Formats: sequence, C-alpha cells, structure tokens
Amino acid sequence: MFGAIPMIYGTMLVSMIAISLAFPLGLGSAIFVSEFLRGKCRVVAKVGIELLAGIPSVLYGLLGVVYLREWLNNPLISLGGSSGDSLLTAGILLSVMILPSIMTFSDDALRCVPRNYRENAWGLGLSRTQTIITVVLPQARSGIMAATVLSLGRAIGETIAVYLVIGRADRPISESFTWTSFFEAGQTLTTKLGGSETAIAQGTVEHWGALMSLGLLLWCLVIVLTSSARILFRPLRENQ
Amino acid sequence: MKTRYVGLLAFLFVYSDITLCHVRIKIQGSTTVNPVVADAAECFREKGWSVFVDTQGGSSGGIAAVAGGLADIGMSSKSIADSDRRKFPKVSFKEHSIGYDGVALVVSQPVFDGGVKSLTKEQIRQIYESKIRNWKEVGGPEKSIVFFNKEPGRGTWEVFASFLYGNAENAPSVSHPEVGGNEETRTKVARHASAITQLSASWVTDGTKIRALGIKMDSGKEIFPTLENIRNGSYPIRRPLLLVTDGTPNAHINELIQFLLSDLGQELVRKHGYLPLKN
Repeated sequence: MFGAIPMIYGTMLVSMIAISLAFPLGLGSAIFVSEFLRGKCRVVAKVGIELLAGIPSVLYGLLGVVYLREWLNNPLISLGGSSGDSLLTAGILLSVMILPSIMTFSDDALRCVPRNYRENAWGLGLSRTQTIITVVLPQARSGIMAATVLSLGRAIGETIAVYLVIGRADRPISESFTWTSFFEAGQTLTTKLGGSETAIAQGTVEHWGALMSLGLLLWCLVIVLTSSARILFRPLRENQ
Repeated sequence: MKTRYVGLLAFLFVYSDITLCHVRIKIQGSTTVNPVVADAAECFREKGWSVFVDTQGGSSGGIAAVAGGLADIGMSSKSIADSDRRKFPKVSFKEHSIGYDGVALVVSQPVFDGGVKSLTKEQIRQIYESKIRNWKEVGGPEKSIVFFNKEPGRGTWEVFASFLYGNAENAPSVSHPEVGGNEETRTKVARHASAITQLSASWVTDGTKIRALGIKMDSGKEIFPTLENIRNGSYPIRRPLLLVTDGTPNAHINELIQFLLSDLGQELVRKHGYLPLKN
C-alpha cells in the first residue's frame, strides 16, 4: 500500500510555515534597505544579503542540526512532540533559507520603481510611509510576488536541509492531520525521495513506480505554482 | 595537419592504456562494515588502484547496487534474505564473511543512569510498537520514549526485526523518527535525553553519551552486548559482516576480499571493535 497524502501535507505545511515567517521579514527588510538606507550603508547591507542568498543549502541543514534542533528540543517536547526533529523545525529552517532571496529580489523590485513616482507623491503631500504603501508597493507588486513565488518554489523543492531536521517519520493518514503534527516528526515529498529508499526500491516495479510518481507530483506542484503566479500577478499597467 | 592526427592517436592510445590497465573497484553498502573496508581500500589505493567506497542506502543499498551492476562489492551487516533473492532473481549472491558484530539496543546516558539497564524481548517489542511510551513503565525516569528507528533498508534494522518477529517481513509498520547510518544514529541519540535506537554494539564507546542495554532473558539473567557474550553466542542478536558479490568475484575483487580475510585484514576488523572470524 502506498500513499502520498501525509507527504503532500508535510510539504504544504513546511512551505507555509516558511513563507509566513520569511515573507513579512523579507519584505520589511527590503523596504528598509531600499527606501530608508543611504549610500554606503545600503551597499554593505545589499552585499551582505546577496552573500547570504548564495550559501549552499546543506550548510543551513548542518546549522539546523547542530543549533536549531537543540534550541527547539525542550519547547517541542513540552508541546507534544518527541524531539527537536519536527515539521516546525523544518519550516523555521526553510524560512531562514529563503529569507535572503526574498529580501534581495524584493529590494530589486522596489528599486525598479522610478524615482519620479515617489517624487510626485511627496509633492502631493504624502509622507514617506504613505508613499511606500500606496505608490511604491503596488508598482513593485509583480516583482515582489515573483520573488515570493521563486522562494516558495525553492522551499518546496529543498531536500537536504529539510531531510536533516524533519525526523523522516512516515505517519498513517489518520495521525497526520492533527494540531500536534506541527511539533512531531514528519515527512515531505522531497525527504522521501532524498532518503535511501530509492536505492532499495529498484528491484520492485511497484515500489519504484510509487517513488517516481512522488517525483512527478513534486514537479507538477512546482509547475502549478509558477503558472498560477504568472497569471495572478501580472505587472500593473501605467494607467491603473 | 598530419601531426595533429598523430598527436590525437597517441593521446587516445595512452588514455586507453591507462584506463584499461587501471583497476577500478566500486564498493557500496553498510555503515557498519564501512570502517573496515575503508581502511582496506586505503591500502589498495597506495598500490595505484581506484577504490570507491560509498554508504548510500546501507546494507540494502549495497545489495541492490551489486544486483544492478552499479557496484562490484556490496557491504552488508545482515545475511542475504529470501526477500533479497526474490527481488533479484537473476543475481546469484555470493557472501564472503569477514567478521561478526552484535546489534544492541542503545539508549541515551540519562536513561541508563536513571535505572534502565536491560529490557526483555517483550518490552522491546512493546516499545517498538509504541505500546510503552514512557521510561517509567520499565523502571526508568519519567520521560517519554523516543525511538529513533533505523531506516527499514538498514542491515541493523533487519537483524533487529528478525530478532523480534522471526522475519523482517513480519515487522509491523511503525511511525517513529527515522535515522540513516550509524554516525547519524549515534549523534542523534547522544544529543537527546530519552532516546533509544538499534545500533551496532561496537559503536558504543566510552565518551559517547550513549549506553548499550542488556537483554533480560527468560531466566532473568541480563546479558550485555560485550565482545565475549557475542562471541560465545549468549547475546542473542548477532550478525555476520559480509562482502557480497554477484557470482564468483574476478581476480582483483578477490584480491581485496582475500586481504580482508588475511591476518592483516582481520586485525582491521579487530581494531574497529568487531569480532574477527577466528577467535
């Protein structure tokens, strides 16, 4: 018997946690860096963010194993989990991973908004904050959404970092959809494929087929995500 | 123009000469057998051979790799089972035993210090099936039991499952956090306060924050997984350390296997804490 629902649930949950933590922080930092920082400070901040965005994911995974699991061990046990390995740990780790890329792409999108938009708004008497909220952000909307979708795609497809901190426990469907599932070890589509089951499944046709269908599912998920983002977040036209 | 062709031909000749004469061996499998084979591979690398040792997939990964022609030698810490032969009917597995090892139930240090020194087979089965969930139910501290289960493809897991259920295929499916190789297992249990796992007995050394439990037999006697108890058979969970080939190995592979069976190779087995063939 093969079933992918707990793994789809795991993938969804982990990505949702990641994006809900990383998006506000990432966008906020991007707004701060592009709108409020000047000159050298901005250059230093920008370089720092781009360096962080380039760190290989396995390093995040190792840092997660050494530090994040330790810190979350006791809180998770008191909340009903069993150890520092859980879907929540994986979600937090992923949010740290995708934060720099959201920041850097959003910053680029915000800086693409022409300066005269802001100047016109200031000329009309809007404060800086009002300008950002009512003028700059709507104009940069498609770029920011593209940043978010790209990062979400990366979060969905991330294997190694999640593999090391998620616990890799296959639960039956009846136990998967509980509130405590956040705090317990789980499994995602990528961690199932990233484990060693692929090495032992080669002899049996059904087993191999089941694993490959997980891969197909993952691929379709990313395609659906990117196409829906393209349709939903078209750039604003000039006369809107 | 002509010199270019001659140069190319000469290059191809030398290149094929190197690749044809060069010995390449690929070994894949168990993390338990790995330390011994890795040391042996080092000796052969000094002779100029290319020996690749990989631990992807554990024992089952090694067996599958040999069956699929992806590896020359498979390392396995369990005997080839009927299920393996059924999965790969065209392959004639040949087992070469290089030593023995015991599988221990290993717990975090605080659990051992808290009073749990041994378990009966029935208690182990109930812990595995999540029927016993707290250490206080078996005489330990009040802490919930976390079972870091070895991935089902691992030799250590299959030996453990055969001990509990007679045959690894009869084991029920459980939902515990999974761990892969021996290194990952040891690290995760050492860092946790109330964990238990299956691990090779020789991997429990002083200084790691883990302890091996004894098995309480029906007579009430506690048998600990010491080398002596594994050697004389009183400790019930024992397994051979195997090198697996598809059919009779060729000359080079046989040379490596014979090296591990020689006194020098057996010394390597002893060095890593396992039991050599001759005692």
